[in-house]
Amino acid sequence: MSPGATRNAGMTRREFVRKGLTIVAVGATAPAFLTRTALALNNPWDTAQVQSQPGVPDEHILVVIQMGGGNDGLNTVVPFSDEAYYRARPTLAVPAKDVIRVTDSLGLHPALGKAKDLYDKGAMAVIQGVGYPNPSRSHFKSMEIWHTADPEGRVVRYGWIGRYFDSKCPVCEQPTVGVNVGPALPLAMKAESGQGITLEAPETFQWMPSLDGIGEKEQVELFRLLNAPAPNEPGTIDFLRHTAMNAYVSAERVREAVGRYKGGTTYPNSRLAYQLRLIAQMIAGSLPTKVYYANMTGFDTHAAQRGVHEALLRELAEGMEAFYRDLEAQRNADRVVVLAFSEFGRRVAENGSAGTDHGTAAPMFLFGRPIKGGLYGQHPSLGDLVDGDLRHAIDFRSVYATILEKWLGADPAKILGAPFDRVPFI
Amino acid sequence: MAEAALRKFRPTAANPWDYAKAAHLLHRAGFGGPPEEIERLVALGPDGAVNALLNYEQVPEEGGAVDFSELRQLFADALALRQAGADENARRALQNRINRTQLEKLQEVREWWMSRLLTTRRPLQEKMVLFWHGLLVSGFPDVRNPEFLFIQNALYRRQALGNFKQLILEISRDPAMLTYLDNNSNRKGRPNENYARELLELFTMGIGNYTEQDIKEAARAFTGWTHRYADFYFDRAQHDDGAKTFLGRTGNFDGGDIITIIFEQPATARWLPRKLFEFFVHLRPEESLIADLGAAFRRGNWEVKPLVRTLLESEVFYSPAALRTQVKSPVQLVVGTARALGAPPGAARALLAAADQMGQALLAPPNVGGWPRGESWITTATILDRYNFGGLMSTGRMPGLRRPVLQGFAPANVAGLVPATAGTAGEVIDALLRRLLPGVTLEQKRAFALWRAVGGNRAADPVQATPPRVRSALHLIMSMPEFQLT
Repeated sequence: MSPGATRNAGMTRREFVRKGLTIVAVGATAPAFLTRTALALNNPWDTAQVQSQPGVPDEHILVVIQMGGGNDGLNTVVPFSDEAYYRARPTLAVPAKDVIRVTDSLGLHPALGKAKDLYDKGAMAVIQGVGYPNPSRSHFKSMEIWHTADPEGRVVRYGWIGRYFDSKCPVCEQPTVGVNVGPALPLAMKAESGQGITLEAPETFQWMPSLDGIGEKEQVELFRLLNAPAPNEPGTIDFLRHTAMNAYVSAERVREAVGRYKGGTTYPNSRLAYQLRLIAQMIAGSLPTKVYYANMTGFDTHAAQRGVHEALLRELAEGMEAFYRDLEAQRNADRVVVLAFSEFGRRVAENGSAGTDHGTAAPMFLFGRPIKGGLYGQHPSLGDLVDGDLRHAIDFRSVYATILEKWLGADPAKILGAPFDRVPFI
Repeated sequence: MAEAALRKFRPTAANPWDYAKAAHLLHRAGFGGPPEEIERLVALGPDGAVNALLNYEQVPEEGGAVDFSELRQLFADALALRQAGADENARRALQNRINRTQLEKLQEVREWWMSRLLTTRRPLQEKMVLFWHGLLVSGFPDVRNPEFLFIQNALYRRQALGNFKQLILEISRDPAMLTYLDNNSNRKGRPNENYARELLELFTMGIGNYTEQDIKEAARAFTGWTHRYADFYFDRAQHDDGAKTFLGRTGNFDGGDIITIIFEQPATARWLPRKLFEFFVHLRPEESLIADLGAAFRRGNWEVKPLVRTLLESEVFYSPAALRTQVKSPVQLVVGTARALGAPPGAARALLAAADQMGQALLAPPNVGGWPRGESWITTATILDRYNFGGLMSTGRMPGLRRPVLQGFAPANVAGLVPATAGTAGEVIDALLRRLLPGVTLEQKRAFALWRAVGGNRAADPVQATPPRVRSALHLIMSMPEFQLT
C-alpha cells in the first residue's frame, strides 16, 4: 500500500483486484493463466477449495537448499579412518580428532555440530555417493543437470520442480505454489504453467506507486490496465505481463502471510538463516506453497578452502537447526522436508592453493521430522577413483523420485522421464 | 541468407531511417539519451550516426580517476608490522582498517564508473566496457582489492574496440583476473585449473571444443603467471616448463602459446561474434550468420571495431527480430532512464543501489558466467524493483533504498519534459513517450491509464500538466512491460 493511501470505503483492494481480473477473464480469448488466477483469488485462504484427492497429501512442503559452487563432500562427511584421505589432503584433511563421529569410520565436519543435533533426533539423513553418469565439472552445465534432472542433455526446457507443478497437483495453480528467496527463479522451478515466484524481502515485494490525485482503488486498476496480458502480444511482452501480474497478485498474499507470523525462535545472523526464517514465516502464514527454494553460494573453494568451507557448513547447520526449532514452535515440523544439494563435489586430492578443484560424487542431505534419519548408501571408495574423482553409486534422480512419490504424492516416472529406485529415507 | 542479414541497412520509403531507428541505435550502441541527442543522430543518417558512435577517439576523453594511495600505504604499513613482528592486536586492528578502506574504495570505484556511464560523451566505449566486464568476468568479493578492479576496468576501456587476441593475452596477466580465478596460486607440481577452465569455457571457445585433459595441460602452461601487487609477475621457479599436449599440439607451452593455439581453433573465431551479436542485436542468431562473422573476424586479425561496425550497420540490426526485443539490463534501465530525463549530479550512488537491487551489481557479478540476459533478468522480484525504480526517478523514493544511499539524489526535473504547448492528455503523454518510449505506439486501453495519470479520460481532454501529474505519468510509464524493452 502506498504511504498515506486509504481504503475505499465501499470495497477492499482485494475485492477490487478480483473484480478487475474477472472482467478481463470473461472473454473467450482470455489467457488461461488469468482465469486460473481469478478462480484462485476467489478463495485465496479457503483451503477447502484446494482439498486433496484421497491419499494425496497436500499440506506437505519441500524446502530445497542449494549449495552453489560445488560442496566439498569429502570434508563434509569425513572418512577419518581412511589413510588415503590424509595422504591426498596433507593440509586440508579434517583431523580425526576434530570430526564429529557418526560411525567408527565416518564423521561430520566439526562446524556441523548443530546438524549433528538434528541427526541425533533422527531428523537428518545423509545420502552418500550421489551423482550421475558422465558427470560434468562445469558449474553451469552440472547445475542445469540437477535442475532439469536431464544428464543426457535432451532439450528439456522445464525444471524437475516445474514439471511437478505442471502435473496438476492440488494448489499447483497458484502463482505461489513455488517460492524462491532470491532475485532469480531457479531453473528447477521453471514450468510450462509459468507458476512460481521469487522475492528477496517482504519490504521490497510490493508495487509502491505515489500517484498524485489517484486513489488506491484506481491505482490497482491502472496497474491492471498496463499489465494484464492480452491475446496476440509478442512473446517477451506477454512474459513480462504475466510476471508483473504474478508478482502483483502474490505480493499482497506473501506480505499478509508473513504478517501473521508470531516468532520467538532466534535465528543466527546469516544469509541462509534470513531466507529460512522468511520461509518459516510464509509456512506459518499458510501461504499455499508446495516448494520453497533457498540459496547459498561460495562453495567453489579453489583456494584457501579451510576457513571458507568451515563458515559455510556452520551457516548451513546453524540455519537449518534454527529453522527446525521454529517449525516445531509453529507446529509445522511434520509438514516440512528439507533437501540440501550441490552441483558436484570436489577432487579428492587438494590442489596447490590449499583448495580443491571441481569433482563429482558428493553427499546430499535431508532434514525434517518426517525423515528417517541416518546414513544411506556407501561412502565412495578412495581406492576406486575415476580420473582422481569419486565414483557415484546413487543417482540424484533416485532422491528426487523418492521425494516426488513419498512426500509430494506425484508420479516420479512421468516427471523424471524414467523410473528410479527409491532411497528409503522417507 | 546470412549475407543479406549482414548487408548494410539501406533506408527505403517503406523502411526509412527515422527517429525510432536512431533511438534504437543510441540505446543499443550506448545508453540512449534525450530527444535532442536522438535527433542529432537522425540528422547524420545511418552511416554518419554509426561513425559518430564508433569513432569516439574524436571526442575528448573524460578525465578523473580514483586515488589509491591511502590503501597502498595501509598495505605497506601492514607489511612493516608483519616484518617487525608486531603483536596480534596491532596487526588485527590494521587489517580491520584495510578491510574497511577496501570497501569504501570499492564503492568509490563503482560510483566513479556509474558517473561516467551517466555523463560520457563516448557511450559506445562505456557500453563496451560493460560488455567486457560481463564476459571476461572478475569481481568482488573474490577480488577484494578495488585498485585491481579499477585497473581491469581501465584495460577494458583502453581495449574497448581494440584487438581481442591481445585483450585475452592482457587479461591473462591482469591482477584482478589472476586473483579472481586463482591463477596467482597456480604452481608447478600443484596446478590450479580454475583459470584454464574458464578461459576455454567462457572466454574463448565454449564447452564441447576441448577436453578435461586440455584444461589440465593448459593449467600447467599458466603456472607461475602471478602478480606482485598490481603488476604482472612471471615466477619462473613456479612455472612448469615441461612438455604439454593441448588441442593436439605438443610443446613446452606457456600461457602465451596456449592463447596462440586457442586462436587457431575454428570455435574461437565464432565465440566473440556470437557474444557481440547477442549483446547488440538479439539472442537468436542463425549459425550461418555467426559463421560469416567469424570468418570475417579471423580475416580481420581479431580486430573488434570492424566486427561491431558490421553489426551496427546491418539489416538484421534494424530488423523486427531486433527492434524493441531486448530486455534492458538493470544498468541499461537506470542509466538509460537517467540520460533520457537528464541525470542530475549526485545520482550515481542511488542508481547503483537500484541496479544492485535489480540484480546487476557493477564490479560484483554473481559468478564467472557474468549476468543474466533477456527474459532471465525478469522475475517476480525484479519486475517490482524495476517498476518501483519509476518511483525513484519520479519522487526520489524506492523500497529497498535507505536514506544514506539517497543522500544527494534528486528526482527527475520535470520542468521541460513536456512542452508548454501540450494542452491535452494525449499531447502531454505523447511528449513523455517520445522521450521514454521512442518508436512505440501504445494500444488505446494502455494509453488510457497514462491519460488518467495526468487528469484526462480521453486523449483530447484538456489537462494541466502540473509537476505532480507529470511525475505520476513517469512512474506509470516505468511500470509497464514496454519500458523494460529497448
